[in-house]
Amino acid sequence: MSTIEIDIEKSNESNCTNESEMKKVNTIELVNKNLKKRYRAERRFKAYGLVSICFALLCLVVLFTDIISKGHGAFFQTYIQLELNLDEDVLEVNDIQNMKQLASANYQGVIRQSLRTLFPDAKKRHDKRKLYALVSSGASYQLADQIKAQPALVGTTISVFVLADDDVDTWFKSLDDAKPFIGRMSEKQLVWLESLKKSGSLHKKFNTTFFNNGDSREPELAGIKGAMIGSLFTILVTFLLSFTVGISTAIYLEEYAPKNLFTDFIEVNINNLAAVPSIIFGLLGLAIFIGMFGMQRSIPLLGGVVLSLMTLPTIIISSRAAIKAVPPSIRQAALGMGASKMQVILHHVLPLAMPGMLTGTIIGLAQALGETAPLLMIGMVAFVVDVPGALTDPSTALPVQIFLWADSPERAFVERTSAAIMVLLAFLISMNTVAVFLRKRLERRW
Amino acid sequence: MEQSIEKIGPTIGQSLLENPKMSMRNVDVFYGDKQAIYDVNLDIGKNEVLSMIGPSGCGKSTFLRCLNRMNDTIEGCKVTGSFDLEGKNIYHPKMDVVPLRARVGMVFQKPNPFPKTIYDNVAYGPKIHGLVESKTDLDEIVESSLQKAGLWDEVKDRLDQQGTGLSGGQQQRLCIARTIAISPEVILMDEPCSALDPIATSKIENLITELSENYTIAIVTHSMQQAARVSDRTAYFHLGKLVEVNDTQHLFTNPDHELTEAYITGRFG
Amino acid sequence: MKKVLIFSLFIASALSAQFASAGRSNINIVGSSTVYPFSTVVAERFGRSTDFKTPKVESTGSGGGMKLFCQGVGVQHPDITNASRRIKKSEYDLCHNNGVNEIIEVLIGYDGIVIANSRKATRMKLTRKDIFLALAARVPNPNGTETLVDNPYKTWQDVNSALPNTAIEVLGPPPTSGTRDAFAELALEGGCKKVSWIKAMKKKDKKAYKALCHTVREDGPFIEAGENDNLIVQKLNANKNALGIFGFSFLDQNIDQVQASIVDGNEPTFETIAEGSYPVSRPLYFYVKKAHVGVVPGIAEYLAEFTRESTWGDEGYLTEKGMIPLDAAKRAETSSDVKKMRNLEL
Repeated sequence: MSTIEIDIEKSNESNCTNESEMKKVNTIELVNKNLKKRYRAERRFKAYGLVSICFALLCLVVLFTDIISKGHGAFFQTYIQLELNLDEDVLEVNDIQNMKQLASANYQGVIRQSLRTLFPDAKKRHDKRKLYALVSSGASYQLADQIKAQPALVGTTISVFVLADDDVDTWFKSLDDAKPFIGRMSEKQLVWLESLKKSGSLHKKFNTTFFNNGDSREPELAGIKGAMIGSLFTILVTFLLSFTVGISTAIYLEEYAPKNLFTDFIEVNINNLAAVPSIIFGLLGLAIFIGMFGMQRSIPLLGGVVLSLMTLPTIIISSRAAIKAVPPSIRQAALGMGASKMQVILHHVLPLAMPGMLTGTIIGLAQALGETAPLLMIGMVAFVVDVPGALTDPSTALPVQIFLWADSPERAFVERTSAAIMVLLAFLISMNTVAVFLRKRLERRW
Repeated sequence: MEQSIEKIGPTIGQSLLENPKMSMRNVDVFYGDKQAIYDVNLDIGKNEVLSMIGPSGCGKSTFLRCLNRMNDTIEGCKVTGSFDLEGKNIYHPKMDVVPLRARVGMVFQKPNPFPKTIYDNVAYGPKIHGLVESKTDLDEIVESSLQKAGLWDEVKDRLDQQGTGLSGGQQQRLCIARTIAISPEVILMDEPCSALDPIATSKIENLITELSENYTIAIVTHSMQQAARVSDRTAYFHLGKLVEVNDTQHLFTNPDHELTEAYITGRFG
Repeated sequence: MKKVLIFSLFIASALSAQFASAGRSNINIVGSSTVYPFSTVVAERFGRSTDFKTPKVESTGSGGGMKLFCQGVGVQHPDITNASRRIKKSEYDLCHNNGVNEIIEVLIGYDGIVIANSRKATRMKLTRKDIFLALAARVPNPNGTETLVDNPYKTWQDVNSALPNTAIEVLGPPPTSGTRDAFAELALEGGCKKVSWIKAMKKKDKKAYKALCHTVREDGPFIEAGENDNLIVQKLNANKNALGIFGFSFLDQNIDQVQASIVDGNEPTFETIAEGSYPVSRPLYFYVKKAHVGVVPGIAEYLAEFTRESTWGDEGYLTEKGMIPLDAAKRAETSSDVKKMRNLEL
């Protein structure tokens, strides 16, 4: 500025016609001088943005690499190929049509006999126990299922893939590491395992048990089906409750509530509830639903109710924003047509606000899917083996299952924990993708 | 030119009629503490086109919105005075606003078709008011409304397309079709052509002239030329007061009030 | 309107569902996180080998489990609670006040608590007195007068000149854990009463004695590492100077990574814990409501499963999981008490 003033003063002494030219020239000079600085600042800003994004992506890559590298092994399970002589005497079965006999037959004896035949050097009782420990305790049940489906196999000799114990599985998977896992296995057991490996009897097969079974104390028998169904039921209840109540509340607050202190009070409380730590909702569930109403602990119905309390503020706030965003011209047009207030809301406002409401709902549900703390207080952090069949069967949820497995001492649970995390992440990513997709699609249609 | 409210005297000209369709007396409208309309007395005759003109902010749109109680939806808006539709007071506490709006329809400044199909747009009114029994009846009403609005030929083979996909002029005609589908007695139009190009404008002006054979129309317009083209009577508003109401020809060629003259000769806008 | 109707229908069905829970078909077990690994194994086997539903086991801590257990009799209350210590008189009274009058006590085995470090470090030889002096909040004044000062020791060598000159850094369980209670009682108090004048204090001022011998220092060297023992093991691998406190079953599973310190000349093994020569070991229990037997299906059969030789015996599957079994005589005695459903009298 001062340059211009000085120049103007100077030009006052000189020709008047030069004055305006002088002014113009000085402004352009200043602009040009500052131009380089401005572009530099813009380039710097862009660089900061790029660096931040790259850093965030890097962190994501590190996270996924860590989880996938730890967890991918869990999708394969070690089996021992054994020749099993399904001798009727050993099985203690004399009538292969009798399902009860088949169910309670001595499959364990058949497996043990096969192991003894392979390794006759195990003579002492202690050694025999160590030999039998190479096979999972659940292997006999898997064999039972196989025979019950095909009773005609009794009396024959078949080659069966028998589920190996989790220590064997961990050892087999760690053979490529610098120091293979030995754990509590004895020298003799390692010798037997090496021999089995040499003869090609150790196989890694796809771990269907992981997806078909509920929780178990034996890692090789543990699966996430129970937790997944539990999560599914819980989220279903959460959705039904929080969606209906949330949308109704948003409509009431936006369309019907009079502008007075009471309405303000409600609004302030809803906004605050959105920031309340989730475990408080668990305490609320414990005090009111379990204490006062006497509801059963650890059931998806209760879990869903507690989680819906937590999701409600999110849904209400996003639904209100969606309703506010409906153009007033549509409302005026509908009102002008003689539609009643309820008809305006149901026929026009709701359909237009639905994409925003759905997006908010899906985001809230995705958050609820990953919550563990409130479930802790209502008893869903428990060891539940049976896959739940109804809303009132005891169950856990997927994040809870991860938490429980992370606490277990067996080494094989480490990779299963990471595998369960992968499944949970896959669910969350797909839910959020559905939210984005729905929003894009519905926006265009409406 | 002095423009204070006190200097404007009582309404000049033909503001009152015999057997009017709608009759307004001593109308005052307040937005909070600010008064927008001062003591307006006006009649609208059967099957006539009354246009309301005046500079920006003079209250004509506000007045128009009182006629179908759209001002009810505005916070802090207070309306006093009497509004009679064929003798019945429309602001009576027991008067239900829903059937009122079925008798007094409205077309807005910016075309606002519903984000539904063209068919559904026109069919909406008859459906919610229960005017039809069968689908064929509904089809008939949709077709006749679109024909009366002059839109049928252009959309008859794409009735299932979105109403929002039409051009500006077509959308406005769709809004008009939607309004007349429920056979109102009065149609209020709030600057219906201000967002349209000249060709669409002329189409709609022709439409207004045709519609006036069967409907009473009150139209607010910024364009004096438009008022001159379509209306029977014209009302001139100034700063919330009704200055002059007269036969259109008379008002534009030989206005009675000096303010009217100043406005139409363009001394202020 | 429609939405209000749907919503109220839902509430009605939800409320009616909880009345449906009046007939609970699976056993509810709560309690100690130390007994949890053993209880869950038995529960799973029980579910697999019988037609009964698998019992649900929650890990709430011994104290928390007792509270839930003693709330009353009825299907909304747990049937069994696990505990890594005997039931306290106050808890027993609470039970009786709430109508839980008939309790069956089942002693199932022992668990050792170890103080371990990474195998990459040198093994520590500690006495209980060393542990007390290193970890208590207040200790006897080093100048010899019979007064107490805030714990001034920073390295193990400060506590005992025979120990290495490394900073005291111990990762241990939080106050909510039964393991912490047991550790305080066995290791800290065990070392505390080795000082004669403190032992004399026990008779004079029991409260002060307890406060002195059970309170752990909070100025840094003792770090609460949560209940996740896997995490403690990981941290020990990362920090060679740190020691960790956890149960024997965890040591057993991670024997390739960590090693237990020798306490009072004894290494923690099956044998030393069972015979009691390793001093830091405690008995494990569970308590059953007699009133629920027969109402909730399977309780008697669950008890039978738990008290079988193949379960809790010297070669039982619980032993493989790291539980130290009772001696044969004790097993026989407990087993017959359970069969008779002998009522606990405190």
